[in-house]
Amino acid sequence: MQSANVLLKKIIRNSVLPFAAQHGMKKDLFPLSRTLSLSLCLKQDNSASPSEKLDLDAWKKVMKSGLQEEGSETVSEQKELSTLAAAREILEMWRLAGRSVPENITEEQLKTFMECPSKSAKKKYLKYLHLKELYKKNDKRKMDEKRERRLETQKQASETDETKRNSFMYLWANTMDKAYSWRVAQSMIFGQPLIFDMSYEKDMSVREVANTVRQIVLSEGCNRRSVDPFHVHFCNLKDDSLYHKEFIKHYREAWGKLLITVTDQCYTDIFPKDKLIYLTADSPKVMKTFDHDKIYIVGSMVDKSIKTGVSLARAKRLGLETAALPLEKYLLWNSGAKNLTLDQMMHILLTLKDTGDWKKALEFVPKRKYCGFVSRPVHELKKTLNLINTLKLGKRQEEARRQFAKSYSKKLTQK
Amino acid sequence: MALFSQTSQQGFQALLWKCRMFWPVSRCHQLFAVSVSIPDREKVSYFSFVTSSSTAFPVDPKGTDAFPTKKRSEIDYEEEKRWDEETKEIPEGKLHFSSSVGAPKKRLTSQVVSRHKFTYVQPPEKPLRAEEWNRLRESFQSPEIFEEVMFNNMVRYNSPIDVAKSLLTHVAKSNGDIAYNLLLKYLALCVQQGQTSEIRDVYDIMKIRFRILESGAYNLLIKGLSNSDEWRMALTLLEEVKKIMIPSRINYESCIRAASRHQEMNLAFELYHEMLAKDLVPTLDILQAFFDFSRGMKGAELQKELFGILLYLRENQIYPHKTFMRSIKLWFESIPGGNWRGHLTNIKDSGQCPVCNHQLEDSDLTEEEYNNLRERIIRDVIHGTDTFRKTSPQEFEAFQTFVENRLPFDIVIDGLNVSHMKPRRLQCENLFDAVNCLAKDNARLLVLGRKHMLINSSNWKREIMKEMQNKADFFFAENISEDDAFLLYATLRSGQHCKFVTRDFLRDHKACLSDSVTRHLFRKWQRGHQIVFSPSAEGKHINFMPAFSYDCVVQTTGDTWHIPYKDLFEEKYSYRVPRKWLCIQQQR
Repeated sequence: MQSANVLLKKIIRNSVLPFAAQHGMKKDLFPLSRTLSLSLCLKQDNSASPSEKLDLDAWKKVMKSGLQEEGSETVSEQKELSTLAAAREILEMWRLAGRSVPENITEEQLKTFMECPSKSAKKKYLKYLHLKELYKKNDKRKMDEKRERRLETQKQASETDETKRNSFMYLWANTMDKAYSWRVAQSMIFGQPLIFDMSYEKDMSVREVANTVRQIVLSEGCNRRSVDPFHVHFCNLKDDSLYHKEFIKHYREAWGKLLITVTDQCYTDIFPKDKLIYLTADSPKVMKTFDHDKIYIVGSMVDKSIKTGVSLARAKRLGLETAALPLEKYLLWNSGAKNLTLDQMMHILLTLKDTGDWKKALEFVPKRKYCGFVSRPVHELKKTLNLINTLKLGKRQEEARRQFAKSYSKKLTQK
Repeated sequence: MALFSQTSQQGFQALLWKCRMFWPVSRCHQLFAVSVSIPDREKVSYFSFVTSSSTAFPVDPKGTDAFPTKKRSEIDYEEEKRWDEETKEIPEGKLHFSSSVGAPKKRLTSQVVSRHKFTYVQPPEKPLRAEEWNRLRESFQSPEIFEEVMFNNMVRYNSPIDVAKSLLTHVAKSNGDIAYNLLLKYLALCVQQGQTSEIRDVYDIMKIRFRILESGAYNLLIKGLSNSDEWRMALTLLEEVKKIMIPSRINYESCIRAASRHQEMNLAFELYHEMLAKDLVPTLDILQAFFDFSRGMKGAELQKELFGILLYLRENQIYPHKTFMRSIKLWFESIPGGNWRGHLTNIKDSGQCPVCNHQLEDSDLTEEEYNNLRERIIRDVIHGTDTFRKTSPQEFEAFQTFVENRLPFDIVIDGLNVSHMKPRRLQCENLFDAVNCLAKDNARLLVLGRKHMLINSSNWKREIMKEMQNKADFFFAENISEDDAFLLYATLRSGQHCKFVTRDFLRDHKACLSDSVTRHLFRKWQRGHQIVFSPSAEGKHINFMPAFSYDCVVQTTGDTWHIPYKDLFEEKYSYRVPRKWLCIQQQR
């Protein structure tokens, strides 16, 4: 009973009075209801068997007691929070509430967060940071595990100390690099040009530019390692552009030593117009074969929001020929947009250049985007599809499939 | 189950409604008296139900016990819907308040289920002691999230609050502290059950324990308190939220409902204008609450505000749903000395209201609006960021001179769209039929197409094309240009009388317009000027549905109001306008 009294006092002191004073509420209502509920609670306790004594409000006592002094301090401090610090606090609370919010956030990120125009933009940005943090943590954990494992094997190796002999020479990475560089240097003199058009900066957000540059770095890498590399041109690349900054972030000092041609000129100034072909998924023309005498242009653009016809518009403006990959012709398309990433494009073009085999080249289209290759004529395909369906599925699905195959063949004949 | 009861009630309500139409006026006051005495927690939208039903049956003096079971289930349903809305932002698996009654389907489809099957644990029915909780915890698959999962399920199964308390006590005693997310979930449970004093306690504890609270807690607190006697506290909380962020419209909804429920209409309207100033879009429930609670109240100011809401509906081309419409009707009829009468009706194609014989306004734009829309179409839709995306400057110029030389047209046809009307026929035959059908009264036609139509092919026969070109003007765009933009331009250039034919909803073009005012203008213009191929005439003949001769928005002439409304469960397509109307007129 005494404890209950103490609790009651505490409650009144802590909670009700400030509010009652603030809003001038019915002061008597509160304590009354509280005693009522308390006495109810006590009654319950008495009626229950002695072994089952359960103080249901004990948690409140715990929560209020240990933290009282601290609490009073913080309340007085609360007013003098700068906006940034306040934002940081809200983030912390969101994290406690279990939302996807990063644990650590830098001043710069916090500013970006504050500048987000809408609530959903803020949420998205936080989620992005959160995931980034998770990945980083995971990577670090894996690295640590790896190091531990390595140390262990070293220890074991040192115990069973035995020098290994090998008649082969190791081809170290820098040797390989030299060989690759030699090839690329040759391609810069004799190779077929491939152009990345860097004129889409204004159509993209900062993150999209960053993604674009990453894809280009990947494609440059795979070009360097290929048997017969392209002579890569970065056209329309201005010196102080976002692209440029991102490139330097990725390559650091290697940027100056890359075996590619970087220019702020347009490709139409460098090459004859009739040799240029702009590759864009919006093009009405479908590429039939890879032409070794033409110069292909790839637009360096990632569009996360749907912006159709931007690169087609560019080609139209300059009066260039355009082409799209024959994805429909060779693949049973499943889902996803027909625009591919820049490194996938590079893989496909390199394979085409080496072999001219569409099937091999289109292996680089992500598997989730298509169901399978169209290897045989469509009517044969249709037959097998039907056969499979009658064996596997009921008749209804068969009908649906037939419909699909029909419309598919129609599409093909139209092309 | 809840859904079912609601639908059945709808039908029931509709039935009662019919009876209601013939009631003498004097009953209104009596009805109103009944509705006031309903406890605070009840949802407003069901007032209309209570009022109408209680007259059909012997009037219950308390008015509250008319259909206790049904009402309860409906409230549950409504609240749960909200729950999901509010907690959507919280990642799955962490804090997922699913409902206990209304959403078995949702439960099946939710990803949480497939991933963590173990999250389905039936919470105990009675408070447990520490040892018992410990035992449960150890038997649980992953003890570290045991409390979280248990609380989620308590919210889901709406467990008694004592059970939750006993778990909190256990946690507090073993850890010496309770994590914020657990407090939040406990708070959610309290709000769900309307435990006001508990909500206050949790708030106090949170205030002591944490410097500031985040939006989730505030959402719950405001929601919980606004439904109780301490609704003014919700207002102070709203002020607190404003300090750290813009409150959500649901926050405002709770406060506005609470204020208007206690007949503080001025306060409610203050909040309403405040949220409009913050560019928040009010929910229909807010607007409905105003009509529900102003029923029978006097005051020119109040009336003006409510008319303002109706004009807001008009401006933003919002159509109220059926229950909302009923609230509006009841409010009008309850204005003391106003002599308003409302009738439900269908407007004829001619645009005349069968009840009051009033001619509805047409969707013609004013001169200024029209010119504005035309400029914006040229600027945003045709040119956009890059003229080459949809056409080319040369082509557009050629088209402009072509149109200027032959103005004005009566009907502009999207040739390629129309040619696909009937898939069995040749495309040129379809177009030919359409042109013949539309060319009746010496109307000047313009057909827009692409160059490939001129090449003699299996679908496009040269002779038929030749013959058509005698009857209508043709413009052929490049094969990769967009003809829709030309369609809009030619129609707008020809003047207000000119209509256009396409089955396209033109949503992508509407989306190109940058601000909502122009988009509303565009929609209004589209409603009045688009002729659509009518799908019912699949047989021999081609039929066209004429464009609406009247505009489908809330409209008034001072002593009449016409309000289009839609059924509650009607599918909402942006292009489809309701055919049902509420006609309200003032009798002199």
